[in-house]
Amino acid sequence: MREFLQYLITGVGSGCVFALVGSGLVVVHRVTRVVNFAQGSFAVIAAMTASTLLASGLPHGLAEASAVAVGAGAGLLVGLVAIGRPGTPPGASLIITLGLAVFAYAVEVLIWGDQPRSFAGVPGAVEFGGVRFQAHYLLIIGATAVVFAGTAALFARTDIGRALSACASNPYAARVVGIDIVRMGLLSFGIGGALGGLAGVLVTPIQLVTFDYDVTLIVGGFAAAVFGGLMRPLHTLVGGLLLGVAQSFVAGYGNAAYQMEVALVLLLAVMMRQAARAPAAEQEPA
Amino acid sequence: MARRAPAVAVGVGTLALPPLLSGSHLTVYILLGLAVMVTVGLSLLMGYAGQVSLGQASFYAIGGYTAGLLSVHSLPPVLGLLAAPLVSAAFAVVVGIPLLRLRGHHLAFATLAMQLILLSLVARADWAGGAIGLQGIPRLSVGGYEFADDISYAYLVWAAVVLTLLVARNIVASRPGRGLRALASGETAAAASGVPVGRYRLAVFALSAAFAGLAGGIYAFYLGYLAPGSFPVLLSIEYVVMAVVGGLGTLWGALVGATAIILLVQVLNTLGTQPGMPGYAPSVLSYAVYAVLLVLVVIFLPHGIVPAVRARLTRRASSGAV
Repeated sequence: MREFLQYLITGVGSGCVFALVGSGLVVVHRVTRVVNFAQGSFAVIAAMTASTLLASGLPHGLAEASAVAVGAGAGLLVGLVAIGRPGTPPGASLIITLGLAVFAYAVEVLIWGDQPRSFAGVPGAVEFGGVRFQAHYLLIIGATAVVFAGTAALFARTDIGRALSACASNPYAARVVGIDIVRMGLLSFGIGGALGGLAGVLVTPIQLVTFDYDVTLIVGGFAAAVFGGLMRPLHTLVGGLLLGVAQSFVAGYGNAAYQMEVALVLLLAVMMRQAARAPAAEQEPA
Repeated sequence: MARRAPAVAVGVGTLALPPLLSGSHLTVYILLGLAVMVTVGLSLLMGYAGQVSLGQASFYAIGGYTAGLLSVHSLPPVLGLLAAPLVSAAFAVVVGIPLLRLRGHHLAFATLAMQLILLSLVARADWAGGAIGLQGIPRLSVGGYEFADDISYAYLVWAAVVLTLLVARNIVASRPGRGLRALASGETAAAASGVPVGRYRLAVFALSAAFAGLAGGIYAFYLGYLAPGSFPVLLSIEYVVMAVVGGLGTLWGALVGATAIILLVQVLNTLGTQPGMPGYAPSVLSYAVYAVLLVLVVIFLPHGIVPAVRARLTRRASSGAV
């Protein structure tokens, strides 16, 4: 039972990270129909920025917040390239963001080198139900809960959120009523960048981050987002948590080496199921 | 005949090149040829079947490991080379039946997942050398002739590239090829006109895998050593860059794209390893080149370099005639 709880908590922790990366994908995809392959890079950039800022003496909190802001800035830049030129089809934007993800490698290696980075999170351990675990997990879970509630409120209750949703459901009609869809698209990229950045800042204390860690994050995030058809944030949260917990149980009770496969097989299974339900003609073209 | 002239010129030119090249340039020549083979397949897949594959290097790896494993277990190497494309294609069919139900970014992530799973399985398979890699692959020999030096591999690659291009060209020109072109412009319309869409998509997927597998087989004999780390996800992305930059669905595009990128990366590599340059310079420069070229081409020349140049030439020719 104690083991079970232990695995559950670590699983929920890493699941939250996948959910955050996935929600960034969802925000961008909802508004622009672009699947942003660079979503994992925002996390890596923010993680590296935070480690540098902390090393240079900035206090915790401020360093992480600035790193998330840098993630948002990176998101905005990716958005400018990916959708800034009018008439770029979403399929081409996937390739563009793929290119930008590789470009991020160049920037990251140039600035931070190719060695893994880490920094300390919330210090200390917490005891719960007879299990001790790093207090940092509580921060991850809390921050994720706040962010998902905030995103839901943003989309449902604010004018900006309604404008974003309008672009998502009918870009033409959104333009007719005076919504600047390119600006909304860029805004969604900025939010996506911040969400990715937050994921990176939160995960670094429990996981060494190298410049190519973005592949793990993007695959996990995409797997989470696919649960909600790349459109629904709440399903993404559920998907991310399921994924994290499944990985943690496989690692705990089975073989730690098969963690990555769990995410991949789950991803394939969900996509197959969705493809079997929706006829090909209704799916998005390449 | 005039239309064939450029192809003949390039063919003869590249055939005359290997004896003139020094050791390291010969290596570039060989790796370039292998990249062209993979890119031709990927270009067909992306251009005609409209499928983005982010896992093309896995077929390259399967071809390499097939050839390597068979010949390490003292089967005749030539058998390994013949088996490489067949095993890759068979793998593509088995994987493709479920995967090709997916479209667009779903398929892109599915092929990426396929490669990650494959790499991690190979890294744990002791019978395939595991993470350390498969060592002691003999040199290729056919009958009594052994491909011992680099020049012989250069000619082997040349022949394999020509074979790949001819097969691809004939398929594009055939009746199934016309069906594929219909498929590229509109899947529903093609299906309505009687094109067996699913079977054709699977066939192109398998064909692209066979090309990559053959290239991987030659790679195994040339290097004599294979490891999971030789086939990273970034390699798959490189093939996408080459195919997109050259122009999807054109054979010349694959040739030009692969050549441009490999040569450019080579030049930058030489530049990056100059004394005084920091140790990370070569990798930073090559990442930047892949990225910048890919992004610029997708935004400004969405059909790729070769179709853009061709369109300009046609325009000039027609305006000259008026």
